[in-house]
Amino acid sequence: MFKKQKISHYQFKILVVMCFVGTSILVTPGGLAAETKQDAWLAAIIGLLLSFPIVWIYNFLGNHLYNMTLIEYTEKVLGKWLGKLVSLSFIFFCFINSASLLYIVGDFVTTQIMPETPIQFTNTLFVIVVVMGSRLGIETLARAGEILYPWVIGIFIILIFLLFPNTDIKKIQPIFEHGIKTNLRGALLFMSYSSLTLIVLLMIFPAYINKPQKAKKTFLRGTLIGGLMIFIMTLFSILVLGHDFTARNVFPSYILVKKISLADFLERMEAAIATLWIITIFYKIVIYFYGAILGLAQTLNLQDYRPLTLPMAMILIVISLIIYPNVVYANTWNSTTWIPFVLTFGLFLPLLLLIVAVLRK
Amino acid sequence: MWSILGIITVGILISIYEVPSLLRRKLKRELWVFSILLIFGVVLSILKSLRIDIPNPLDLLTNIYKPLNDFIFDSLK
Repeated sequence: MFKKQKISHYQFKILVVMCFVGTSILVTPGGLAAETKQDAWLAAIIGLLLSFPIVWIYNFLGNHLYNMTLIEYTEKVLGKWLGKLVSLSFIFFCFINSASLLYIVGDFVTTQIMPETPIQFTNTLFVIVVVMGSRLGIETLARAGEILYPWVIGIFIILIFLLFPNTDIKKIQPIFEHGIKTNLRGALLFMSYSSLTLIVLLMIFPAYINKPQKAKKTFLRGTLIGGLMIFIMTLFSILVLGHDFTARNVFPSYILVKKISLADFLERMEAAIATLWIITIFYKIVIYFYGAILGLAQTLNLQDYRPLTLPMAMILIVISLIIYPNVVYANTWNSTTWIPFVLTFGLFLPLLLLIVAVLRK
Repeated sequence: MWSILGIITVGILISIYEVPSLLRRKLKRELWVFSILLIFGVVLSILKSLRIDIPNPLDLLTNIYKPLNDFIFDSLK
């Protein structure tokens, strides 16, 4: 039941880009600017460079996985009980992440686009699509990704070109004012939103890939494309809005695109970036949700994961409503506990698995 | 009151949709997991609709990760 679906390495690259860009494109510039002021773009570059070793570790772990998902492998390497415990905590990680991403979608729609609609309904509507996607399986999602990917890249390039007239180079000076440690902290923040969360892709890679060897290269290439997109977005947020204004907004990229004004004719382009962002965050949520449910089915030795989607979706909606009581809580959580939390699963878990696997040989 | 009725209706609709095919395929284990999750989901939704405080899982994580968190941010200060 699980193993029938296969996706190509090109489709995998699209999933990597979508997952990498996901929330980050709208949220990261603000977080980075709050941490590193006008050096946010530098922190983004450092974060991008440090992402490659992380993806390399995932690729290396992928070598060991062969035909298993991360959950099956954990059980094989760590033994039945410890393996199940670690698997369950990984499932919890995926599930909490999809809930917090869902909260961000609801928060964005209710504060910026449709203020009259209660957040419960936006979340429920979004979850219905997520459930459809995860029930149809990874192959369908990847094919839909092939259709949506050109739109994401196209919208992004057009918006960046339209923003050129508004840039002001003085806003990123003085460069490197805050020293290396601040920038490293910013880089860590960048990675915590993007590359470290890619661990969930090990639920798909290499078990559901046609040619896993080729997919390794596309994993790195997807990381590069996604990282560059976020870097460019951060750079332009600083160049156009300045670090102060960027840091003060929850969704700086959205405000940024509102600044586009070409000959008093082409204005109010923010719906375009909302479209882009909804597409990418849909993929991020769906992959997390799919990872959580597939993982749960595999941990409990079930034959089919589909019956679990609807009840889990119900729980997901409630969790997404209670997870952040307010924006201040969300910001504090994202810049403190979130980082060690994601490091545990994004860095320590694969390293632990690799070390145990090597020792066992 | 209406929200509770709505939630229970949704729960029943979900089981009408899923249970027959599970019974037909004789997937007992799946049926158990499905029922437990569904009951959990329905109860959680009802509690939320009654505005009863549900403990936030993130608070628990904050407490667990406090030492590691302090370590990371002290070393990068």
